[in-house]
Amino acid sequence: MAAPIEQLWFLWDPFVLYVILVLLAPDIFYLVSWLIAPRRPSRVKKTAFESGQAPIRSALGSFPVEYFPYVIIYVAYAVIAILIFVSLVAVAEAGVTPSLLLLLTLATIASFYASSQLKEIVGRRG
Amino acid sequence: MIEQLAQSIVSAPEPIRTLLSWIFSEAFIKAAIFPGALFSTILGMFAVWYERKLLARVMLRVGPMHVGKVSGILQLIADAVKFLAKEPITPSSAIRPLFWVMPSAALLLSLLLFAFLPFGAGWIIYPSEIGLLLFFAVIAVSPIPILLAAYASGSKYPFIGLTRMALQLFGYEIPLFLALAGVVLMAGSFNLQEIVEAQARAPFVLPQFIGFVVFFTAALAETERVPFDIPTAEGEIVFGWQTEYSGAHFVVFQLAMYEKTLALCVLGSLLYLGGWHGPPLPFVPETISAPFWVVVKSLIVFTLMVLIRGAYPRLSIDRVLDIGWRYLIPLALLNLLITGAIVYFLGTLG
Repeated sequence: MAAPIEQLWFLWDPFVLYVILVLLAPDIFYLVSWLIAPRRPSRVKKTAFESGQAPIRSALGSFPVEYFPYVIIYVAYAVIAILIFVSLVAVAEAGVTPSLLLLLTLATIASFYASSQLKEIVGRRG
Repeated sequence: MIEQLAQSIVSAPEPIRTLLSWIFSEAFIKAAIFPGALFSTILGMFAVWYERKLLARVMLRVGPMHVGKVSGILQLIADAVKFLAKEPITPSSAIRPLFWVMPSAALLLSLLLFAFLPFGAGWIIYPSEIGLLLFFAVIAVSPIPILLAAYASGSKYPFIGLTRMALQLFGYEIPLFLALAGVVLMAGSFNLQEIVEAQARAPFVLPQFIGFVVFFTAALAETERVPFDIPTAEGEIVFGWQTEYSGAHFVVFQLAMYEKTLALCVLGSLLYLGGWHGPPLPFVPETISAPFWVVVKSLIVFTLMVLIRGAYPRLSIDRVLDIGWRYLIPLALLNLLITGAIVYFLGTLG
């Protein structure tokens, strides 16, 4: 054998070995497909699918997205969510304190109030 | 013991002996067989068959029954062969390298989730003090291959699916975060094994029922299961972001979505249903009964998902956003408050 198995450290680490196997898994599908699938390309097959019609214009243009404000809200919210999750590391060590309970109470009341006030989803139609 | 058996084959020549000791080593068994590649793939295929069969029963049909001796158990293999025998078509408008690589990337990220999930006291590929955080890091990254695949298709239906999926995932990632925060608060640890050990007396679903409901709903939305399947709604936008994928690429993408669903089912069973704590099985050692209970509980969560798929219609995008932002986030915070109060006044329930 050219390379004895003992010297290849990555074969003895479960995680690294698993990642290697997972990287190989889709290639088995592609190999089998390459062996047994037909290859008869044609112009019509290669057009983008638009219910059988000829494509009208490029899909990579700009077009209106409804409810776009939520994406902006998410950008602000995601940071807070990560902050909560990371600060849990400290909470896990120090335990729950009264001030933390107070903070959670305020956050809960505020979120219930906000959701009761925002009856209409902010969209383009509204 | 198995390793000794492998060592005792003294008569074998040196390379074969090394190979045997590698095959029977902890690394190979964990990575390749259980809970690694072979197990997760077979679980994924079983889940597809199980879903088709159970969904058929819900709709008073029989489901697959012709391929294989017992109730069409080999239907999935037949389906896989059918898909692999189809021509994989790349549209001329696609960005080719991205279009080809993204199914593999999605499958990689979905299967990577299984590396952080313990199936018993020692049954974990990557034991870590912050296992839940790592799981969550991968879950948070996992939509990116899908978004890139939709973008790389260069077609309109995938693009519509992309915007819908982005909006849906933005709405449900935060409730998922907050629901898991309750579990961490109660267990006092990010280590999934310690979280399960903390449920020795009572599973977390009892004190945190609201949290479980939020987690379950958010998991449905994260994996685009039926009430939340507008990004791939086949009736209206012809399978959304997957429209341009065919043949082997499509199979890999479908497998990736099922593996992600199952990983979240396993996580739900570990976090809320008590993981491997269950009545002891007669004549079965702990090392085997623990994974058994985890798999059974995960399949219970999966059954719930399938029953919901059978019972509920697809939600429109405004309802999806409404549920995510206006109901789940306040409920998740309420759950966090209740959990905090329980921990403060009663101490951890472990």
